Amino acid sequence: MRLSWVELRDFRNHRETRLDVPDGVVVAVGPNGEGKTNLLEGMHYLLDLASPRVGSDLPLVRHGAQSGYVRGEVETMGGRVLVEVEVRAAGANRVQVNRSPVRRKRDLRGRVRGVFAGPDDLAIGQGDPDRRRRFVDEAVAALWPARDTLPRAYEKALRQRNRLLRDWEGAPGQAPAAIEAWDAELVETGSALTRARAEAVARIRPPAAEEFLALTRHELRVSYRPSVPVDPSAPDGLEPGRVEEAFRGRLAERRGDELVRRSTLVGPHRDELELSLRDLTVRAFASHGESWAAAIALRLGLSSAVAEALGEPPVTFLDDPFSALDPERRHRLEGRLAGRGQVVVSVADEGQVPASAAAVWDVRGGVVTPRAGGEGRRAVQ
Amino acid sequence: MYEGPIQDLVDELSRLPGIGPKSAQRLAFHIVKADPREARRLAEAIIQAKERVAFCRECGNVAEGDLCRICRDPGRDPTTLCVVEEPKDVVAMEKAGVLKGRYHVLGGAISPLDGIGPEDLRVKELLDRVEQDGVTEVIVATNPNLEGNATAMYVAALLKPAGIRVTRLASGLPVGGDLEYADEVTLGQALEGRREI
Ligand SMILES: [Zn+2]
Repeated sequence: MRLSWVELRDFRNHRETRLDVPDGVVVAVGPNGEGKTNLLEGMHYLLDLASPRVGSDLPLVRHGAQSGYVRGEVETMGGRVLVEVEVRAAGANRVQVNRSPVRRKRDLRGRVRGVFAGPDDLAIGQGDPDRRRRFVDEAVAALWPARDTLPRAYEKALRQRNRLLRDWEGAPGQAPAAIEAWDAELVETGSALTRARAEAVARIRPPAAEEFLALTRHELRVSYRPSVPVDPSAPDGLEPGRVEEAFRGRLAERRGDELVRRSTLVGPHRDELELSLRDLTVRAFASHGESWAAAIALRLGLSSAVAEALGEPPVTFLDDPFSALDPERRHRLEGRLAGRGQVVVSVADEGQVPASAAAVWDVRGGVVTPRAGGEGRRAVQ
Repeated sequence: MYEGPIQDLVDELSRLPGIGPKSAQRLAFHIVKADPREARRLAEAIIQAKERVAFCRECGNVAEGDLCRICRDPGRDPTTLCVVEEPKDVVAMEKAGVLKGRYHVLGGAISPLDGIGPEDLRVKELLDRVEQDGVTEVIVATNPNLEGNATAMYVAALLKPAGIRVTRLASGLPVGGDLEYADEVTLGQALEGRREI
Protein backbone atom coordinates (compact mmCIF):
# COMPACT_ATOMS: atom_id res chain seq x y z
CA MET A 1 0.00 0.00 0.00
CA ARG A 2 1.08 3.57 -0.42
CA LEU A 3 0.32 6.85 1.23
CA SER A 4 -0.31 9.03 -1.82
CA TRP A 5 -0.48 12.40 -0.08
CA VAL A 6 -0.36 13.76 3.43
CA GLU A 7 -1.33 17.02 5.05
CA LEU A 8 -0.31 18.20 8.53
CA ARG A 9 -1.87 21.29 10.03
CA ASP A 10 -0.86 22.56 13.48
CA PHE A 11 0.61 19.13 14.18
CA ARG A 12 3.69 19.36 16.44
CA ASN A 13 5.83 22.05 14.81
CA HIS A 14 4.18 21.80 11.37
CA ARG A 15 1.93 24.75 10.71
CA GLU A 16 0.90 23.66 7.26
CA THR A 17 2.60 20.88 5.34
CA ARG A 18 1.13 19.20 2.30
CA LEU A 19 3.06 16.63 0.31
CA ASP A 20 2.55 14.17 -2.48
CA VAL A 21 4.33 10.96 -1.57
CA PRO A 22 5.77 8.70 -4.26
CA ASP A 23 6.22 4.97 -3.95
CA GLY A 24 9.63 3.58 -3.00
CA VAL A 25 12.14 5.22 -0.69
CA VAL A 26 11.26 8.74 0.43
CA VAL A 27 13.72 10.71 2.52
CA ALA A 28 13.18 13.61 4.91
CA VAL A 29 16.45 15.35 5.67
CA GLY A 30 17.20 18.05 8.20
CA PRO A 31 18.97 18.76 11.48
CA ASN A 32 17.47 17.39 14.68
CA GLY A 33 14.59 19.33 16.17
CA GLU A 34 13.46 20.84 12.84
CA GLY A 35 10.44 18.54 12.38
CA LYS A 36 11.45 15.51 10.30
CA THR A 37 10.53 13.00 12.99
CA ASN A 38 7.28 14.92 13.50
CA LEU A 39 6.57 14.48 9.81
CA LEU A 40 7.14 10.72 9.94
CA GLU A 41 5.11 10.54 13.12
CA GLY A 42 2.19 12.38 11.51
CA MET A 43 2.26 10.11 8.47
CA HIS A 44 2.38 7.03 10.69
CA TYR A 45 -0.45 8.43 12.79
CA LEU A 46 -2.71 8.18 9.73
CA LEU A 47 -2.07 4.46 9.56
CA ASP A 48 -2.03 3.59 13.23
CA LEU A 49 -3.74 6.37 15.23
CA ALA A 50 -1.02 6.14 17.84
CA SER A 51 2.26 7.91 18.34
CA PRO A 52 5.25 5.57 18.04
CA ARG A 53 7.24 7.84 20.34
CA VAL A 54 7.10 6.80 23.93
CA GLY A 55 7.88 9.27 26.65
CA SER A 56 7.50 12.32 24.44
CA ASP A 57 5.78 14.89 26.60
CA LEU A 58 5.57 17.47 23.87
CA PRO A 59 1.97 18.02 22.81
CA LEU A 60 0.85 16.72 19.42
CA VAL A 61 -1.00 19.96 18.81
CA ARG A 62 1.14 22.94 17.78
CA HIS A 63 1.61 25.47 20.54
CA GLY A 64 -1.26 27.93 20.61
CA ALA A 65 -3.66 25.87 18.47
CA GLN A 66 -6.81 24.13 19.76
CA SER A 67 -6.58 21.23 17.33
CA GLY A 68 -4.07 19.73 14.96
CA TYR A 69 -5.13 17.99 11.78
CA VAL A 70 -3.56 15.10 9.92
CA ARG A 71 -5.10 14.03 6.64
CA GLY A 72 -4.02 11.73 3.88
CA GLU A 73 -5.00 9.06 1.45
CA VAL A 74 -3.77 5.50 1.28
CA GLU A 75 -3.96 3.41 -1.86
CA THR A 76 -4.46 -0.23 -0.98
CA MET A 77 -5.39 -3.37 -2.89
CA GLY A 78 -8.82 -2.98 -1.34
CA GLY A 79 -9.23 0.58 -2.65
CA ARG A 80 -8.45 4.12 -1.58
CA VAL A 81 -8.75 4.98 2.07
CA LEU A 82 -9.07 8.64 3.04
CA VAL A 83 -8.05 9.17 6.66
CA GLU A 84 -8.73 12.42 8.49
CA VAL A 85 -7.73 12.92 12.10
CA GLU A 86 -8.42 15.88 14.30
CA VAL A 87 -6.02 15.78 17.23
CA ARG A 88 -7.47 17.89 20.01
CA ALA A 89 -5.40 19.63 22.66
CA ALA A 90 -8.15 18.72 25.15
CA GLY A 91 -10.63 15.92 24.66
CA ALA A 92 -10.77 12.85 22.46
CA ASN A 93 -9.44 12.89 18.90
CA ARG A 94 -11.88 12.66 16.01
CA VAL A 95 -11.13 10.19 13.25
CA GLN A 96 -12.90 9.82 9.93
CA VAL A 97 -12.23 7.10 7.40
CA ASN A 98 -13.70 7.76 3.98
CA ARG A 99 -15.77 10.49 5.62
CA SER A 100 -17.32 8.19 8.21
CA PRO A 101 -16.34 8.45 11.87
CA VAL A 102 -14.52 5.51 13.44
CA ARG A 103 -14.19 4.93 17.15
CA ARG A 104 -11.70 2.13 17.49
CA LYS A 105 -8.13 1.98 16.27
CA ARG A 106 -8.67 -1.46 14.84
CA ASP A 107 -11.42 -0.17 12.55
CA LEU A 108 -8.70 1.77 10.72
CA ARG A 109 -5.93 -0.78 11.23
CA GLY A 110 -8.05 -3.37 9.51
CA ARG A 111 -7.67 -1.38 6.27
CA VAL A 112 -4.25 0.28 6.39
CA ARG A 113 -1.06 -0.68 8.12
CA GLY A 114 2.18 1.08 9.08
CA VAL A 115 5.37 -0.17 10.75
CA PHE A 116 7.58 2.39 12.50
CA ALA A 117 11.19 2.01 13.62
CA GLY A 118 12.87 4.77 15.58
CA PRO A 119 15.59 5.46 18.15
CA ASP A 120 13.29 4.31 21.00
CA ASP A 121 13.62 0.81 19.56
CA LEU A 122 17.19 0.54 20.78
CA ALA A 123 15.57 -0.49 24.08
CA ILE A 124 14.10 -3.62 22.46
CA GLY A 125 17.51 -5.25 22.68
CA GLN A 126 18.95 -3.35 25.60
CA GLY A 127 15.96 -2.65 27.85
CA ASP A 128 13.87 -4.71 30.24
CA PRO A 129 11.96 -7.84 29.18
CA ASP A 130 8.84 -5.68 29.37
CA ARG A 131 10.06 -3.66 26.40
CA ARG A 132 10.48 -6.83 24.32
CA ARG A 133 7.02 -8.05 25.32
CA ARG A 134 5.65 -4.72 24.20
CA PHE A 135 7.35 -5.15 20.83
CA VAL A 136 5.73 -8.56 20.42
CA ASP A 137 2.33 -7.14 21.35
CA GLU A 138 2.81 -4.35 18.80
CA ALA A 139 3.61 -7.06 16.27
CA VAL A 140 0.41 -8.94 17.17
CA ALA A 141 -1.63 -5.76 16.65
CA ALA A 142 0.13 -5.02 13.34
CA LEU A 143 -0.39 -8.55 12.04
CA TRP A 144 -3.92 -9.07 13.30
CA PRO A 145 -5.66 -5.82 14.29
CA ALA A 146 -8.64 -7.70 15.72
CA ARG A 147 -6.34 -9.23 18.34
CA ASP A 148 -5.09 -5.88 19.64
CA THR A 149 -7.34 -6.16 22.72
CA LEU A 150 -5.57 -9.28 24.04
CA PRO A 151 -2.78 -7.57 26.04
CA ARG A 152 -5.18 -5.27 27.84
CA ALA A 153 -7.67 -8.05 28.59
CA TYR A 154 -4.89 -10.12 30.12
CA GLU A 155 -3.48 -7.20 32.05
CA LYS A 156 -6.87 -6.51 33.57
CA ALA A 157 -7.35 -10.11 34.68
CA LEU A 158 -3.81 -10.07 36.09
CA ARG A 159 -4.39 -6.87 38.05
CA GLN A 160 -7.62 -8.22 39.52
CA ARG A 161 -5.98 -11.47 40.53
CA ASN A 162 -2.93 -9.73 41.99
CA ARG A 163 -5.12 -7.46 44.06
CA LEU A 164 -7.07 -10.47 45.33
CA LEU A 165 -3.82 -12.13 46.42
CA ARG A 166 -2.42 -8.95 47.91
CA ASP A 167 -5.48 -7.93 49.94
CA TRP A 168 -6.41 -11.39 51.11
CA GLU A 169 -6.39 -11.80 54.89
CA GLY A 170 -6.75 -15.47 55.57
CA ALA A 171 -5.00 -18.29 57.31
CA PRO A 172 -1.64 -19.34 55.84
CA GLY A 173 -2.01 -22.04 53.24
CA GLN A 174 -5.62 -21.17 52.52
CA ALA A 175 -6.59 -19.64 49.20
CA PRO A 176 -8.92 -16.64 48.89
CA ALA A 177 -12.52 -17.30 47.92
CA ALA A 178 -13.13 -16.90 44.21
CA ILE A 179 -9.47 -17.52 43.32
CA GLU A 180 -10.60 -20.26 40.91
CA ALA A 181 -12.82 -17.77 39.11
CA TRP A 182 -9.84 -15.46 38.59
CA ASP A 183 -7.65 -18.40 37.62
CA ALA A 184 -10.15 -19.14 34.87
CA GLU A 185 -10.06 -15.54 33.61
CA LEU A 186 -6.27 -15.43 33.79
CA VAL A 187 -5.98 -18.69 31.86
CA GLU A 188 -8.47 -17.68 29.21
CA THR A 189 -7.02 -14.23 28.49
CA GLY A 190 -3.42 -15.34 29.04
CA SER A 191 -3.62 -18.38 26.77
CA ALA A 192 -5.02 -16.29 23.94
CA LEU A 193 -2.15 -13.84 24.39
CA THR A 194 0.47 -16.60 24.59
CA ARG A 195 -0.83 -18.12 21.36
CA ALA A 196 -0.89 -14.75 19.57
CA ARG A 197 2.66 -13.91 20.69
CA ALA A 198 3.95 -17.31 19.63
CA GLU A 199 2.35 -16.97 16.20
CA ALA A 200 3.66 -13.43 15.76
CA VAL A 201 7.23 -14.38 16.67
CA ALA A 202 7.08 -17.41 14.37
CA ARG A 203 6.24 -15.08 11.48
CA ILE A 204 8.81 -12.42 12.33
CA ARG A 205 11.71 -14.73 13.10
CA PRO A 206 12.75 -15.74 9.53
CA PRO A 207 12.61 -12.29 7.91
CA ALA A 208 14.24 -10.63 10.95
CA ALA A 209 17.10 -13.12 10.88
CA GLU A 210 17.48 -12.50 7.15
CA GLU A 211 17.69 -8.73 7.66
CA PHE A 212 20.19 -9.07 10.47
CA LEU A 213 22.37 -11.40 8.46
CA ALA A 214 22.31 -9.02 5.51
CA LEU A 215 23.24 -6.09 7.76
CA THR A 216 25.90 -7.61 9.98
CA ARG A 217 26.82 -10.99 8.44
CA HIS A 218 25.93 -12.52 11.80
CA GLU A 219 23.11 -14.75 12.89
CA LEU A 220 20.41 -13.28 15.12
CA ARG A 221 18.36 -15.82 17.01
CA VAL A 222 14.86 -14.75 17.97
CA SER A 223 12.90 -17.04 20.25
CA TYR A 224 9.77 -16.69 22.25
CA ARG A 225 10.03 -18.17 25.73
CA PRO A 226 6.54 -18.22 27.21
CA SER A 227 6.11 -18.38 30.97
CA VAL A 228 3.43 -21.03 30.47
CA PRO A 229 5.32 -24.29 29.81
CA VAL A 230 4.48 -24.93 26.18
CA ASP A 231 6.84 -25.41 23.28
CA PRO A 232 5.77 -22.87 20.67
CA SER A 233 7.90 -24.55 18.01
CA ALA A 234 6.39 -28.03 18.49
CA PRO A 235 3.84 -28.84 15.78
CA ASP A 236 1.02 -29.36 18.29
CA GLY A 237 2.42 -26.95 20.90
CA LEU A 238 -0.32 -24.37 20.41
CA GLU A 239 -3.28 -26.60 19.67
CA PRO A 240 -6.59 -25.52 21.19
CA GLY A 241 -6.69 -26.44 24.85
CA ARG A 242 -2.98 -27.18 25.02
CA VAL A 243 -1.87 -23.79 26.33
CA GLU A 244 -4.82 -23.64 28.72
CA GLU A 245 -4.00 -27.04 30.16
CA ALA A 246 -0.32 -26.16 30.66
CA PHE A 247 -1.30 -22.83 32.20
CA ARG A 248 -3.70 -24.42 34.69
CA GLY A 249 -1.11 -27.05 35.58
CA ARG A 250 1.63 -24.54 36.30
CA LEU A 251 -0.74 -22.33 38.31
CA ALA A 252 -1.60 -25.31 40.48
CA GLU A 253 2.11 -26.03 41.03
CA ARG A 254 2.84 -22.44 42.00
CA ARG A 255 -0.27 -21.87 44.13
CA GLY A 256 1.65 -22.19 47.41
CA ASP A 257 4.35 -19.74 46.29
CA GLU A 258 1.74 -17.32 45.03
CA LEU A 259 0.00 -17.27 48.40
CA VAL A 260 3.30 -16.51 50.12
CA ARG A 261 4.49 -13.93 47.59
CA ARG A 262 0.94 -12.57 47.15
CA SER A 263 1.39 -12.13 43.46
CA THR A 264 0.73 -13.99 40.22
CA LEU A 265 3.86 -15.91 39.27
CA VAL A 266 2.76 -17.59 36.04
CA GLY A 267 1.58 -16.00 32.81
CA PRO A 268 2.47 -13.86 29.80
CA HIS A 269 3.61 -10.98 32.05
CA ARG A 270 6.67 -13.16 32.63
CA ASP A 271 7.30 -14.09 29.00
CA GLU A 272 10.65 -13.38 27.41
CA LEU A 273 11.55 -12.65 23.84
CA GLU A 274 15.08 -13.93 23.62
CA LEU A 275 17.40 -12.20 21.20
CA SER A 276 20.80 -13.75 20.91
CA LEU A 277 23.85 -13.13 18.87
CA ARG A 278 26.81 -15.51 18.72
CA ASP A 279 25.05 -17.44 21.54
CA LEU A 280 25.05 -14.41 23.81
CA THR A 281 22.05 -12.27 24.58
CA VAL A 282 21.88 -8.99 22.74
CA ARG A 283 21.18 -7.21 25.99
CA ALA A 284 24.39 -8.23 27.65
CA PHE A 285 26.91 -8.30 24.87
CA ALA A 286 25.91 -6.50 21.72
CA SER A 287 27.52 -3.19 20.83
CA HIS A 288 25.38 -0.11 20.32
CA GLY A 289 25.53 -0.66 16.56
CA GLU A 290 24.53 -4.30 16.87
CA SER A 291 21.64 -3.51 19.21
CA TRP A 292 20.39 -1.01 16.69
CA ALA A 293 20.87 -3.49 13.86
CA ALA A 294 18.81 -6.00 15.86
CA ALA A 295 16.04 -3.45 16.40
CA ILE A 296 15.98 -2.49 12.71
CA ALA A 297 16.01 -6.17 11.71
CA LEU A 298 13.02 -6.86 13.99
CA ARG A 299 11.04 -3.93 12.61
CA LEU A 300 11.86 -4.74 9.00
CA GLY A 301 11.07 -8.37 9.79
CA LEU A 302 7.70 -7.28 11.12
CA SER A 303 7.14 -5.20 7.99
CA SER A 304 7.87 -8.27 5.83
CA ALA A 305 5.62 -10.46 7.98
CA VAL A 306 2.78 -7.96 7.62
CA ALA A 307 3.37 -7.85 3.85
CA GLU A 308 3.19 -11.65 3.75
CA ALA A 309 -0.02 -11.72 5.81
CA LEU A 310 -1.73 -8.91 3.87
CA GLY A 311 -0.51 -9.69 0.38
CA GLU A 312 0.86 -6.13 0.09
CA PRO A 313 3.54 -4.30 2.04
CA PRO A 314 2.61 -1.88 4.82
CA VAL A 315 4.08 1.63 4.76
CA THR A 316 7.40 1.41 6.60
CA PHE A 317 8.91 4.32 8.54
CA LEU A 318 12.55 4.46 9.61
CA ASP A 319 13.38 7.40 11.84
CA ASP A 320 17.13 8.13 11.76
CA PRO A 321 18.19 4.57 10.90
CA PHE A 322 21.73 5.25 9.68
CA SER A 323 23.41 7.26 12.46
CA ALA A 324 24.18 4.30 14.70
CA LEU A 325 25.60 2.18 11.86
CA ASP A 326 29.12 2.12 10.44
CA PRO A 327 29.45 3.11 6.74
CA GLU A 328 29.47 -0.47 5.53
CA ARG A 329 26.29 -1.45 7.39
CA ARG A 330 24.70 1.83 6.39
CA HIS A 331 25.30 0.92 2.78
CA ARG A 332 23.88 -2.58 3.29
CA LEU A 333 20.74 -1.21 4.96
CA GLU A 334 20.22 1.14 2.02
CA GLY A 335 20.22 -1.92 -0.20
CA ARG A 336 17.54 -3.58 1.92
CA LEU A 337 15.05 -0.72 1.53
CA ALA A 338 14.25 -1.29 -2.13
CA GLY A 339 11.44 -3.64 -3.11
CA ARG A 340 9.45 -3.36 0.09
CA GLY A 341 6.92 -0.82 -1.07
CA GLN A 342 6.84 2.66 0.38
CA VAL A 343 9.59 3.36 2.90
CA VAL A 344 9.78 6.78 4.53
CA VAL A 345 13.18 7.53 6.05
CA SER A 346 14.48 10.46 8.05
CA VAL A 347 18.17 11.37 8.12
CA ALA A 348 19.99 14.17 9.92
CA ASP A 349 22.93 14.35 7.56
CA GLU A 350 23.04 15.08 3.85
CA GLY A 351 25.62 12.33 3.45
CA GLN A 352 23.08 9.75 4.60
CA VAL A 353 20.56 10.40 1.85
CA PRO A 354 20.32 7.13 -0.10
CA ALA A 355 21.08 7.46 -3.80
CA SER A 356 17.96 5.42 -4.60
CA ALA A 357 15.57 7.95 -3.04
CA ALA A 358 12.43 8.57 -5.10
CA ALA A 359 11.97 11.90 -3.35
CA VAL A 360 13.97 14.05 -0.95
CA TRP A 361 12.34 16.57 1.36
CA ASP A 362 14.25 19.26 3.23
CA VAL A 363 12.77 19.92 6.66
CA ARG A 364 13.52 23.19 8.49
CA GLY A 365 11.47 24.76 11.28
CA GLY A 366 8.40 22.67 10.53
CA VAL A 367 8.46 23.60 6.83
CA VAL A 368 9.00 20.85 4.27
CA THR A 369 10.49 21.68 0.88
CA PRO A 370 10.63 18.93 -1.73
CA ARG A 371 13.71 19.01 -3.92
CA ALA A 372 13.04 19.53 -7.58
CA GLY A 373 13.65 16.90 -10.24
CA GLY A 374 12.62 13.33 -10.86
CA GLU A 375 9.27 11.64 -11.07
CA GLY A 376 7.43 11.90 -7.78
CA ARG A 377 9.53 14.75 -6.45
CA ARG A 378 6.76 17.15 -7.32
CA ALA A 379 4.85 18.40 -4.33
CA VAL A 380 2.42 21.08 -3.34
CA GLN A 381 3.25 23.42 -0.53
CA MET B 1 -14.90 26.44 49.02
CA TYR B 2 -18.17 28.24 49.63
CA GLU B 3 -20.01 28.93 52.82
CA GLY B 4 -23.03 27.45 54.54
CA PRO B 5 -25.88 25.78 52.64
CA ILE B 6 -24.30 25.97 49.17
CA GLN B 7 -21.19 24.14 50.34
CA ASP B 8 -23.37 21.56 52.11
CA LEU B 9 -25.20 20.96 48.84
CA VAL B 10 -21.92 20.68 46.87
CA ASP B 11 -20.61 18.20 49.45
CA GLU B 12 -23.73 16.04 49.31
CA LEU B 13 -23.85 16.02 45.52
CA SER B 14 -20.18 15.14 45.16
CA ARG B 15 -20.82 11.99 47.19
CA LEU B 16 -23.03 10.64 44.40
CA PRO B 17 -21.47 8.09 42.05
CA GLY B 18 -19.92 9.60 38.94
CA ILE B 19 -20.16 13.19 40.24
CA GLY B 20 -16.82 14.92 40.69
CA PRO B 21 -16.29 18.21 42.55
CA LYS B 22 -16.67 20.27 39.35
CA SER B 23 -19.98 18.65 38.38
CA ALA B 24 -21.23 18.95 41.95
CA GLN B 25 -20.56 22.69 41.87
CA ARG B 26 -22.33 23.06 38.55
CA LEU B 27 -25.36 21.10 39.77
CA ALA B 28 -25.48 22.99 43.06
CA PHE B 29 -25.51 26.38 41.34
CA HIS B 30 -28.08 25.15 38.85
CA ILE B 31 -30.36 24.14 41.73
CA VAL B 32 -29.83 27.39 43.63
CA LYS B 33 -30.61 29.46 40.56
CA ALA B 34 -33.61 27.32 39.56
CA ASP B 35 -37.27 28.08 40.12
CA PRO B 36 -38.06 27.22 43.79
CA ARG B 37 -40.78 24.81 42.62
CA GLU B 38 -38.30 22.92 40.52
CA ALA B 39 -35.92 22.52 43.45
CA ARG B 40 -38.79 21.39 45.67
CA ARG B 41 -39.91 18.78 43.11
CA LEU B 42 -36.36 17.35 43.01
CA ALA B 43 -36.14 17.19 46.81
CA GLU B 44 -39.60 15.62 46.99
CA ALA B 45 -38.74 12.99 44.38
CA ILE B 46 -35.63 11.99 46.31
CA ILE B 47 -37.56 11.66 49.58
CA GLN B 48 -40.43 9.73 47.96
CA ALA B 49 -38.09 7.33 46.20
CA LYS B 50 -36.18 6.73 49.39
CA GLU B 51 -39.32 6.18 51.46
CA ARG B 52 -41.40 4.14 49.05
CA VAL B 53 -38.92 2.17 47.00
CA ALA B 54 -37.27 -0.71 48.75
CA PHE B 55 -35.52 -3.84 47.62
CA CYS B 56 -37.42 -7.06 47.18
CA ARG B 57 -36.58 -9.40 50.04
CA GLU B 58 -36.63 -12.37 47.70
CA CYS B 59 -34.66 -11.27 44.68
CA GLY B 60 -33.10 -7.90 45.49
CA ASN B 61 -34.85 -6.09 42.65
CA VAL B 62 -36.37 -2.68 43.32
CA ALA B 63 -39.85 -3.04 44.77
CA GLU B 64 -42.67 -0.93 46.15
CA GLY B 65 -43.25 -2.97 49.26
CA ASP B 66 -41.92 -6.26 50.45
CA LEU B 67 -41.82 -8.16 47.19
CA CYS B 68 -41.23 -6.96 43.66
CA ARG B 69 -43.79 -7.26 40.87
CA ILE B 70 -42.08 -10.35 39.43
CA CYS B 71 -41.80 -12.25 42.70
CA ARG B 72 -45.50 -11.52 43.38
CA ASP B 73 -46.52 -12.95 39.99
CA PRO B 74 -47.61 -16.60 40.49
CA GLY B 75 -47.21 -17.16 36.75
CA ARG B 76 -43.41 -16.84 36.98
CA ASP B 77 -41.62 -20.16 37.30
CA PRO B 78 -39.79 -20.24 40.66
CA THR B 79 -37.52 -23.13 39.63
CA THR B 80 -35.57 -21.07 37.11
CA LEU B 81 -33.52 -18.15 38.38
CA CYS B 82 -31.78 -15.58 36.24
CA VAL B 83 -28.84 -14.05 38.11
CA VAL B 84 -28.03 -10.45 37.21
CA GLU B 85 -25.75 -7.77 38.65
CA GLU B 86 -28.12 -4.82 39.09
CA PRO B 87 -31.85 -4.02 39.07
CA LYS B 88 -31.35 -2.23 35.73
CA ASP B 89 -30.39 -5.58 34.22
CA VAL B 90 -33.79 -6.95 35.28
CA VAL B 91 -35.34 -4.11 33.28
CA ALA B 92 -33.22 -5.02 30.24
CA MET B 93 -34.10 -8.72 30.46
CA GLU B 94 -37.80 -7.98 30.97
CA LYS B 95 -37.82 -5.84 27.84
CA ALA B 96 -36.62 -8.87 25.90
CA GLY B 97 -39.58 -10.65 27.50
CA VAL B 98 -38.41 -14.22 27.10
CA LEU B 99 -37.63 -15.27 30.66
CA LYS B 100 -40.39 -17.30 32.29
CA GLY B 101 -38.51 -17.70 35.56
CA ARG B 102 -37.56 -15.20 38.23
CA TYR B 103 -34.50 -13.08 38.99
CA HIS B 104 -31.79 -12.83 41.56
CA VAL B 105 -29.96 -9.52 41.80
CA LEU B 106 -26.43 -9.86 43.18
CA GLY B 107 -25.83 -6.16 43.68
CA GLY B 108 -22.68 -6.06 41.56
CA ALA B 109 -19.87 -8.31 40.38
CA ILE B 110 -16.75 -9.48 42.15
CA SER B 111 -13.87 -7.11 41.54
CA PRO B 112 -10.86 -7.16 43.88
CA LEU B 113 -9.65 -3.84 42.42
CA ASP B 114 -12.87 -2.23 43.67
CA GLY B 115 -12.72 -4.13 46.94
CA ILE B 116 -15.76 -6.23 46.05
CA GLY B 117 -15.59 -9.86 47.07
CA PRO B 118 -18.29 -12.56 47.06
CA GLU B 119 -19.19 -11.62 50.64
CA ASP B 120 -20.25 -8.18 49.43
CA LEU B 121 -22.79 -9.65 47.01
CA ARG B 122 -26.10 -11.42 47.64
CA VAL B 123 -24.54 -14.82 47.12
CA LYS B 124 -25.67 -16.44 50.37
CA GLU B 125 -29.23 -15.33 49.61
CA LEU B 126 -28.92 -17.02 46.24
CA LEU B 127 -27.81 -20.31 47.77
CA ASP B 128 -30.67 -20.16 50.28
CA ARG B 129 -33.24 -19.55 47.56
CA VAL B 130 -31.88 -22.34 45.40
CA GLU B 131 -32.22 -24.75 48.29
CA GLN B 132 -35.64 -23.62 49.50
CA ASP B 133 -37.44 -23.07 46.20
CA GLY B 134 -36.38 -26.27 44.45
CA VAL B 135 -34.51 -24.34 41.77
CA THR B 136 -33.33 -26.58 38.91
CA GLU B 137 -31.66 -24.07 36.63
CA VAL B 138 -29.67 -20.91 37.30
CA ILE B 139 -29.04 -18.71 34.27
CA VAL B 140 -26.10 -16.43 34.97
CA ALA B 141 -26.68 -13.18 33.10
CA THR B 142 -23.92 -11.08 34.61
CA ASN B 143 -22.32 -8.57 32.22
CA PRO B 144 -20.19 -10.07 29.42
CA ASN B 145 -16.96 -8.53 30.75
CA LEU B 146 -14.08 -9.75 32.90
CA GLU B 147 -15.76 -9.17 36.27
CA GLY B 148 -19.09 -10.54 35.06
CA ASN B 149 -17.40 -13.67 33.74
CA ALA B 150 -15.45 -14.23 36.94
CA THR B 151 -18.66 -13.82 38.94
CA ALA B 152 -20.37 -16.37 36.68
CA MET B 153 -17.52 -18.82 37.20
CA TYR B 154 -17.72 -18.32 40.95
CA VAL B 155 -21.49 -18.84 41.12
CA ALA B 156 -21.24 -21.92 38.89
CA ALA B 157 -18.55 -23.47 41.09
CA LEU B 158 -20.85 -23.05 44.13
CA LEU B 159 -24.02 -24.40 42.54
CA LYS B 160 -22.87 -27.22 40.30
CA PRO B 161 -21.88 -29.63 43.10
CA ALA B 162 -25.52 -29.41 44.27
CA GLY B 163 -26.64 -30.77 40.91
CA ILE B 164 -28.07 -27.47 39.67
CA ARG B 165 -27.95 -26.79 35.94
CA VAL B 166 -25.94 -23.57 35.61
CA THR B 167 -26.04 -21.79 32.27
CA ARG B 168 -24.55 -18.62 30.83
CA LEU B 169 -26.08 -16.42 28.16
CA ALA B 170 -24.81 -17.30 24.70
CA SER B 171 -22.08 -15.16 23.22
CA GLY B 172 -23.19 -12.60 20.68
CA LEU B 173 -23.63 -9.95 23.30
CA PRO B 174 -21.19 -7.10 22.83
CA VAL B 175 -18.07 -8.30 24.63
CA GLY B 176 -16.83 -6.08 27.42
CA GLY B 177 -20.11 -4.20 27.43
CA ASP B 178 -23.06 -4.00 29.74
CA LEU B 179 -26.21 -6.06 29.53
CA GLU B 180 -28.31 -2.92 29.53
CA TYR B 181 -26.85 -1.81 26.19
CA ALA B 182 -27.79 -5.01 24.38
CA ASP B 183 -30.91 -4.76 22.26
CA GLU B 184 -33.95 -6.89 23.02
CA VAL B 185 -33.60 -9.26 20.08
CA THR B 186 -29.93 -9.96 20.85
CA LEU B 187 -30.74 -10.51 24.50
CA GLY B 188 -33.60 -12.87 23.64
CA GLN B 189 -31.34 -14.86 21.33
CA ALA B 190 -28.59 -14.97 23.96
CA LEU B 191 -31.07 -16.41 26.43
CA GLU B 192 -32.42 -18.99 23.98
CA GLY B 193 -28.91 -20.08 23.09
CA ARG B 194 -27.59 -20.26 26.66
CA ARG B 195 -25.01 -22.92 27.39
CA GLU B 196 -24.08 -24.89 30.43
CA ILE B 197 -20.99 -23.60 32.21
ZN1 LIG C 1 -38.36 -9.97 43.64
